[in-house]
Amino acid sequence: MKTITNNRINEKILYEELDSGLKVIFMPKPGFTKKHAVFSTNYGSNDNVFIPIGEDKPLSVPEGIAHFLEHKLFEQEESNLFEKFSKMGAYVNAFTNFNQTAYLFETTDNFYESLELLVKFVQSPYLTDENVEKEKGIIAQEIKMYEDNPKWRVFFNCLRAMYLNHPVKIDIAGTVESIQTINKELMYKAYNTFYNPANMVLFIVGDLSFEKILEVVKKTERHFDKVDDTDMRILVDEPDSIKEKTIDVKMQVATPMFYIGFKDNELNLIGEELIKKDIITNMILDMMFSPSSKFYNDLYNEGLIYNSFGAYFTGKKTYGHSLVIGESNNPEKVQERVLELINKDPSENLLEEDFDRLKKKNLGNFLMGFNSVEFIANNFVDLYFDQFNLFDYLNLVESIEFRDLLTRYKNHLRPENMVISIVRPA
Amino acid sequence: MELKSKRIELGNGIYLNLIQTDKFKSNLMSYYFIRPLNREEVTMNSLVPLVLKRGTEEFPTSLEIEKEFESLYGASYSSTVNKRGERHFLRFTVEWANEEYLNAPGQNLNVVKMLRNIIYNPCLENGVFNKEYVKQEKENHKNRIEGRINDKRSYAVDRCIEEMCRYEKYSIYQLGYVEDLDSINEKNLYSHYQNILDTSRIEIFYVGQFDEALESYIVEQNKIEREVIVEVPREIITNTVKQKNMINEKLDVSQGKLVIGYRTGIPFEHELYNALLIASDILGGGPNSKLFKNVREAESLAYYVSSTILKYKSIMIVDGGIEFENYHRTVDIINKQLEELKSGNFSDDDMEISKKAIKTSTESIKDSPFLISEFFLSQIIAKDNRSLDEMMKDFETVTREEIIEAAKKIVIDTIYFLNGNNSLEG
Repeated sequence: MKTITNNRINEKILYEELDSGLKVIFMPKPGFTKKHAVFSTNYGSNDNVFIPIGEDKPLSVPEGIAHFLEHKLFEQEESNLFEKFSKMGAYVNAFTNFNQTAYLFETTDNFYESLELLVKFVQSPYLTDENVEKEKGIIAQEIKMYEDNPKWRVFFNCLRAMYLNHPVKIDIAGTVESIQTINKELMYKAYNTFYNPANMVLFIVGDLSFEKILEVVKKTERHFDKVDDTDMRILVDEPDSIKEKTIDVKMQVATPMFYIGFKDNELNLIGEELIKKDIITNMILDMMFSPSSKFYNDLYNEGLIYNSFGAYFTGKKTYGHSLVIGESNNPEKVQERVLELINKDPSENLLEEDFDRLKKKNLGNFLMGFNSVEFIANNFVDLYFDQFNLFDYLNLVESIEFRDLLTRYKNHLRPENMVISIVRPA
Repeated sequence: MELKSKRIELGNGIYLNLIQTDKFKSNLMSYYFIRPLNREEVTMNSLVPLVLKRGTEEFPTSLEIEKEFESLYGASYSSTVNKRGERHFLRFTVEWANEEYLNAPGQNLNVVKMLRNIIYNPCLENGVFNKEYVKQEKENHKNRIEGRINDKRSYAVDRCIEEMCRYEKYSIYQLGYVEDLDSINEKNLYSHYQNILDTSRIEIFYVGQFDEALESYIVEQNKIEREVIVEVPREIITNTVKQKNMINEKLDVSQGKLVIGYRTGIPFEHELYNALLIASDILGGGPNSKLFKNVREAESLAYYVSSTILKYKSIMIVDGGIEFENYHRTVDIINKQLEELKSGNFSDDDMEISKKAIKTSTESIKDSPFLISEFFLSQIIAKDNRSLDEMMKDFETVTREEIIEAAKKIVIDTIYFLNGNNSLEG
């Protein structure tokens, strides 16, 4: 068992890798009422081509399969899982994103019993032709709910404009058509490949005992053959260039919405290097586009944007993009102004006094995040899969120098990597 | 931990509520101004916070305000305007990292001052609001009001309530009306703002760490002599439905949104109110509920379907997203499940599960500074002196007979369906 302490924020984490390869991480939160556990696999919608375990040829699976599997793991042979959690007073849920599928529960009581349920259900899939078929109607309604969501549409169209082949451009839940081709055989292949304990992490936060947690997990976990190489993913080749400059559609909205995307070409970083790039890029975007920037205030005063305007960068090892988003009656004009802005010399956009202030802001926001068990769990697991420890975040922020921003600015915000997605009123 | 609030009257209708706790890494302070909900002032009430955010005497532009909050370690400022029953609430909040983690003495005091300055010391021009700011914020606010159509689920719920309560103040849209913006200018808005300061009930909350000096500072700063305070009468609660409404609205959407509004006639002061909350939870609270099991799991008709009680009007809302052609089938199942509830067709387990779910969510309030302040506010509004723990105990004593009795009072009032343009249904 390892302990990592951070005196600055007065928090610690306890860590153990079990014989099965499963990593169990615990953060004590004395005095907190809520207890939160998340059991997550490093497998999301992006992993749609892989070599199934025990096979040697790559398999390309239908869009939406990771998310479908997430729904189906809640199915149990003889009992209703929701009912079991509900009886404990625990609220169980799950989500699938580009890179992970996470199963979680939150409770104030009966934590260890609920933990046992969580480990058990994630490790014992029960798929039949009937229960897979039945789920298609439910997931189709989930997909249609997103289809009517203009923010979701404008976001995915932006990804589709940037990426030619990378699976980040496909919808996480798939399409109403693609899910029809999903069956239990394909799902078992995906499950057996990616739900090996060595590919997973169990993160727990709350006023609890680590010894007791380990006891429950060891007693409950299923035996898997340990695999050494858990990376079965086949990466597609993605060129540096963008797919198309503009995607413009109509929907039932009040004001046009836009996403201006910059596709990142500085890729294949992991761990500290990846997170450092993330922080640097977000600082640049804050300086240029946040409500404390000149650009934001100029456009706002001209009536070109509303207070929904903002920007952020997000990226993983194989993809990354900066997104400048908002609503405007003239999205093309906004794009023109963004173009003018990025063509300026970096010394006009990036100021050292802003840099010091943004570091303070980063520190405060980081501290505030530690009030929320959900924030801790989500961020810890997400960064864990990027091979980075959340506790090292503050030191990393402090190690960043102003000139790091200047270099990144020139390499990343380039006109040839820019796209725009617009959703206009029908 | 038992939460305690120290309540101090600072003037006619001005109260300070101090909740001291060292559990969090941040502190939170909020001002609530409580207004009657009516057509005459709803649009102006909603516009005021937007104009105040544009500048203070000391920091006359948004840009300067934003920079100041960033310097205060990213102190997070927000304001909202919403309705609870027939009251209109203006909330101004700031949450910030506590000074002890930052080595920044004076941080707490500086943030407290800043929040007060935004509310009480706006940037003025010729003794009234800045003309340009008001003009721009009217435009911004118009976009916000019109933007309610962007989120189809909440739009449908709002529309159902609007139709259902069209002869009651509760139907008023909380952000106001585009056509009422025209007559607003920097002069009449400023005088309305003065009116808000002079005649509203004001509830101030501080959750977190503070010393005596900060406490007396807050007390002194907010002691104001005032004369007449507008008190809002308790809403009329009824379950008499003279005429049932059926509303079919067409929009260009992929998914139909079904919303059913019911009257319960059980005011929150009534002894059956807790039983009503449990009845609604058994019907459509969580994944163990009747609607989840029957509409979603058994029939695959919806991804989301749920039931909630609106406290101050004692209205129950059931909503779900479905295929257009499944409208009649879904309405039939919902009706049938409600009848089952009324005839006592639920197990002791169902009852216990709902009680536990309510207990967990009530208990979780203790982990969030914001929810703590909202809890105390809601107790004040409801003139309810019970502590969180007492409230939880009261749920435990609710009997099956009381749940059935409460359920029997639920009467359907309005069925609203957001339908597709090309759908033949309805």
